Amino acid sequence: MIEAKNLTKIFKDKKRGEVRAVDDVSFTCKKGEVFGLLGPNGAGKTTTLRLLSTAIRPTSGTALIEGADIVKEPQKVRHVTGFLSGNTGLYGRLTAREMVEYFGKLYGMNKGQIVQRTNQIFDMLDMNEFADSRNEKLSTGMKQKVSIARSVLHDPPVMIFDEPTSGLDVMSSRTIVQFIRQCRDDNKCLIFSTHIMSEAMRLCDRIAIIHKGKIYFEGTVDEALEQTAYDNLEDAFIEIVGV
Amino acid sequence: MKFRNIRTIYGKEMKDTLRDRRTLIFMLIVPIVAIPLLIMFTSSLMVGAVTKAQEERATVVFEGFDNLPADLQDTFKAAPLLTVKTENDYADTIDLIDQLKAGGFDALVSVPDYFGSAIESESPTSIDIFYDQAELKSEFAVDKIRDILEPYEDKIVAARLQERQMSVEIISPFEVNRQNVASAQKVAGRELGGILPYLIIIMCFMGAMYPAIDLAAGEKERGTLETLLVSPASRGEFVIGKYLVVLTTGIVAALLSMVSLTFSLNYMVNNLLGDIASELLRLQFNLETVTLIILIILPLAGIFASVLLSVSIFARSFKEAQSYITALNMLVILPAFVSLLPGIEIDYKMALIPVINVSLIIKNAISGSVEWNYVGVAFISTLVLALLALLFCKKWFERESVIFRM
Repeated sequence: MIEAKNLTKIFKDKKRGEVRAVDDVSFTCKKGEVFGLLGPNGAGKTTTLRLLSTAIRPTSGTALIEGADIVKEPQKVRHVTGFLSGNTGLYGRLTAREMVEYFGKLYGMNKGQIVQRTNQIFDMLDMNEFADSRNEKLSTGMKQKVSIARSVLHDPPVMIFDEPTSGLDVMSSRTIVQFIRQCRDDNKCLIFSTHIMSEAMRLCDRIAIIHKGKIYFEGTVDEALEQTAYDNLEDAFIEIVGV
Repeated sequence: MKFRNIRTIYGKEMKDTLRDRRTLIFMLIVPIVAIPLLIMFTSSLMVGAVTKAQEERATVVFEGFDNLPADLQDTFKAAPLLTVKTENDYADTIDLIDQLKAGGFDALVSVPDYFGSAIESESPTSIDIFYDQAELKSEFAVDKIRDILEPYEDKIVAARLQERQMSVEIISPFEVNRQNVASAQKVAGRELGGILPYLIIIMCFMGAMYPAIDLAAGEKERGTLETLLVSPASRGEFVIGKYLVVLTTGIVAALLSMVSLTFSLNYMVNNLLGDIASELLRLQFNLETVTLIILIILPLAGIFASVLLSVSIFARSFKEAQSYITALNMLVILPAFVSLLPGIEIDYKMALIPVINVSLIIKNAISGSVEWNYVGVAFISTLVLALLALLFCKKWFERESVIFRM
C-alpha cells in the first residue's frame, strides 16, 4: 500500500529560480491494484516516483509505503519496494546471475535465499539460457528480463515502475506488460508512470493525472471518461488539465 | 555503515573493474610493459646518438693551416677521426661562420699568421675554435681538436723547461684529486631519483583514473545509478566501497611502476652505460625505503581517489568526466615534475604542498637520505587532506543536485 501525503519537492534552478516539480501531491494505491501516474514529459512523474523510492528526499510532505515513512524510515521502505525504469541499465561486464546476486546481497539476503530465488525467477522469466553470459552481449529483451529479475529478487510487496516501456521495442514492452499483470495477480501494489494514454487504459485499475507537479484527477479510467464525456483518455486528459 | 555492504560493493566493483580493458591497460600494461620499453628505447637512442657522434669523422676547416708548425700539420692530417680542410676548399664561401652555422662542417679553427713565430719567440698567442654547441657532433669535434692541441702544448712546455734545465714537476706543485664518497645508491638517487617519483605519482593517478570514471560517471551513463540509490546500501557505503576500489587500482599501478622502473633503469645503466657507470649508479631498495614509499603514496592515492570520484560523479557522462579529468591531469603532472628539477630540496614549506611533498620525499628515500621530520609533516598533511577529501566526496555523493545532474 502506498499513501502519498502532500508530497512536495522544490528544486532550485539557476535560470528558473524555484521549481515546484511536485506540488502537494496526495494519492493512495492499494494492494492488488495497478495505479497509473499519467502526465506529459516534465509533469513531475519521475520526481514523484523518485521520492517514493527514496532516491531523493521531499521538501515537505511524506508518503507511507507498507506503513514505513519514506522520510523517517528510508531503509525500511527500500526493503519493501522494487524499482524499475525504462532506461534502467545493467552492468555490462557482469553476467545476469552476478548482477542479480549483487543486488541480493545489498538487500541483505543470504546465499541460500539468493540462489533459491534466482532459480525461481530465472525459470519464471525463461532466462536460464543467458543467465551466465555478460549483460553487454544480450539483446534488449533479454536485458529487460535481467532488470526485472533484479527488481523483484527480494520479493517486494510494492513495485515502482518509471516509464517502464519507454524506448523498448514491441517484444520487450510486452514482457514488461506481462510482468506487470503477473505482479497484480500476486497481489502486489503497483505504481507506474507513463505518458502513453492507451497503455494506461489497458493496464491501470486507477489513475492519477499529474500536470506541472499538481494532481488534477484521481480515480478509475472510467470515472475520468465519465467526468469529461469523452470516450478516450487522451481527450479526457486534455479536458481535465485544461490546456 | 555496514561493513558487509562495503565488502559486497568492493567485491562487485573490483570484479567489474578488472574486466574493463581500459583499466587493465593503465593499471597493468603501462607500468609493466610500456614504461620499461619506453625507457630502454629512448636510452638506447640517446646512447646510440652519442656513440655515433663520437665515432664519426668530424670535418674541420682551418683558416691559416699553413701557419701551424709542420709537425702539428702532419698530426692533424693523420688524425683518424678528423677530416682536415682549409679555407681554400671553401674559396667561394663568403662567410665561413655562416657555413658552420648551416652545418656545412663541424668546426672552424682560426690560426693567426704569426702563430709559428710567436711560439718560436715564446710570446703568448692563441688559436680560436668556432663550433655549434647545439650540435652534438660539433661539440665532439672540439674535443677531437683539443686532444691534438693539448699534448702538443705539453710537448712545447716540456721542451722549454728542458732548455732552461728545469724539471716538468716545477709547474705542477700539487695535484687536486676528487674522491667520491657517495654510495652508488645515493648517486643513483640524484641522477635517476627524479624520474622515479614523477612516474610513480603519475601512474598512481592514471591507474585510478578509469575506474573512477567508470564507477561514478559510468553508473550515470548506464542508468544503473538509480537502482543502486534505491537499494538498502547507504550512500556512505557505496562511496566507501567505490573509493576503496579506486584506491586499490591507483596503488597497484604505482607499485608496479616502481618495480618495473627500478628494473628497467638498472638494466639501462648496466647495458648501455657500461660497467663503470653501473658501479657508480645503482637503484636499490631496502625494506625501509619500500615501506616508506608505500606509506607516503597511500594518502596521496587517497586524495586522487576522492577527487577523481567527486569529479566523475559530477559529470553527466563518461565523456564529460574524461574531459574534466584530462584538465585535472595537469595539476598532478606539474607538481610531480618538481622532483625532476635539480636543486629543489625539501623544507617545511615544501613538505606541506601536496604532490610536491610526496615527490620530494620519494626522491630522498631513493637516495637513502630520509629526513624523518619532513616525512612526518608530509605524511600528516597529506593524510589530513586525504581525509578531508574523502569527507567531501561522501557529502558530494549525498547531494541530489550532483547525483541527479543529468
